[in-house]
Amino acid sequence: MPIRFKKLSYIYNKDMPYAHKALDEIDLEIKEGVITAIIGETGSGKSTLVEHLNALLLPSEGSLEVLDYNIVANQKQRFLKPLRKDVGLVFQFSEYQLFEETVIKDVAFGPLNFGFTPEEALKRAAEALKKVGIREEDFNRSPLELSGGQKRRVAIAGILSCDPKIIVLDEPTAGLDPQGAREMIDLFVELNKKEGKTVIIVSHDNEMVYNYCDETIVLSHGKIMYNGPTFDLFADKEKLKEFNMLEPQIVSFRNDLCEKGFRLSRDARTLKQIAKEVAEQVKR
Amino acid sequence: MDLIEIKDVSYSYDDSKKAVDKVSFSVKQGDYVTVIGHNGSGKSTLAKMIAGLLPVKEGSITIDGLEVNEENIAKIRQRLGIVFQNPDNQFIGSTVKDDIAFGLENKRVPSKDMEGIIREYAEKVGLTPFLTYEPQNLSGGQKQRVAIAGILAMAPDIIIFDEATSMLDPKGKKEIKQLMYDLAAGDDITILSITHDIEEVLQSDRCVVLNKGKLFMYDEPEKIFAHADKLREIDLDVPFIEQVREAFGKYKIRLKSDDLKGMVEELCRSGSKS
Repeated sequence: MPIRFKKLSYIYNKDMPYAHKALDEIDLEIKEGVITAIIGETGSGKSTLVEHLNALLLPSEGSLEVLDYNIVANQKQRFLKPLRKDVGLVFQFSEYQLFEETVIKDVAFGPLNFGFTPEEALKRAAEALKKVGIREEDFNRSPLELSGGQKRRVAIAGILSCDPKIIVLDEPTAGLDPQGAREMIDLFVELNKKEGKTVIIVSHDNEMVYNYCDETIVLSHGKIMYNGPTFDLFADKEKLKEFNMLEPQIVSFRNDLCEKGFRLSRDARTLKQIAKEVAEQVKR
Repeated sequence: MDLIEIKDVSYSYDDSKKAVDKVSFSVKQGDYVTVIGHNGSGKSTLAKMIAGLLPVKEGSITIDGLEVNEENIAKIRQRLGIVFQNPDNQFIGSTVKDDIAFGLENKRVPSKDMEGIIREYAEKVGLTPFLTYEPQNLSGGQKQRVAIAGILAMAPDIIIFDEATSMLDPKGKKEIKQLMYDLAAGDDITILSITHDIEEVLQSDRCVVLNKGKLFMYDEPEKIFAHADKLREIDLDVPFIEQVREAFGKYKIRLKSDDLKGMVEELCRSGSKS
């Protein structure tokens, strides 16, 4: 079942002089079982939008359907706990939210809170840590001793240990080195392909979005500007210009080749595939 | 003698492994030097030693002939500033103005002179309209500009940028990189920038490549990226243009241009010839 926003608005400091409409009557559908990117300039409402997905923020107006839950503005919410188990949200710079004495305790915190026995919680924590690539000898270290990239993995394991159906990540690769970022993305792709999780990523990294995300949503000033296949967005020069988006180099290169009359298939997204198709046309 | 001279410098946090391993190189005054390498390659350790934040136990570092050690550290710190990665961790004042003033106060600049200095450097980094703003009301890029203004006000010879743009959004990144390029364009300030941004490396005069604590290469960026295979060996990214060259090389198509537009032209020409 897709996620559906219906005429949803969110107003910060409602009824106050500083009131600010961060989301403006949003109608939106996010597909199940794919990787969706949410992009837009700082202040466009990306984080506000995703914080609705597990009801950290409740709509000021309109409503939202996630899985079997229906969240309606100004109605008492009864199912927050199961919703938050099913929708895991990883914040920006999540490495700062670690607090327990040891890595494994930090990751087990979620399952314990959702009512699992201590043994079961630790078992789930260990599984989640293995999935994100934390070695067993580090389980009993203080999370504060780990490197920045490792800390962020531990924070993600903290979400995975609750076995959510939907995983939402707010700028998961910001501040990581290129290799660390790649490993992080590989993990999300694996969670999506192998376990069928719905993955929603807020990002500023257009290159990553182009390479790995099936669908893209563009936000600007609290409104949806685009919602559709990532490939179609990046193939449309006018749209990129309109949304003030930096074109990844691979996209500029592909678009330039197409303009010069090379015929590239939809599969030619990677440099490897582009080179192959162009080489065939050059040699003919 | 060069402004920064690093000779046979090593460092280990514990006895097991060397974070920096017998590194030697020197930096001329006014140069813009980028430092690349993986996390854990020793980049930040080396920068901290140059700034006197970690002791030089093996080998030596001199700045303008002055050895970096406990005795000289106060003198050296007057000539060198660091901009760190996280814009939220380096704000000291309660307003932009106070923050820029902090270093000047420590340097005992008379308060009648301070106002002028603050205005001058706020202007230079484009913060004049924000002087009375509080840090929480600034964007990441603006916060980094405050840090840079605070350092410039101390009239340093050297500025070290420790992944100063990596936590910023694309707009903030662009702003700060432009500011770095502008500073680098003058002859006065020597810049050492630790970065993962290959496009920034292409703008620098020279580039240090570190791998597992050792100096892997030190040369002009074009020369470094001419060895794409060597960089691949240690798992570092190569510029997109070199990736294109490699990808077409596999089909025996040798592209010679130095920019993408040129490469597209080349492909068109070879396409119409056959």
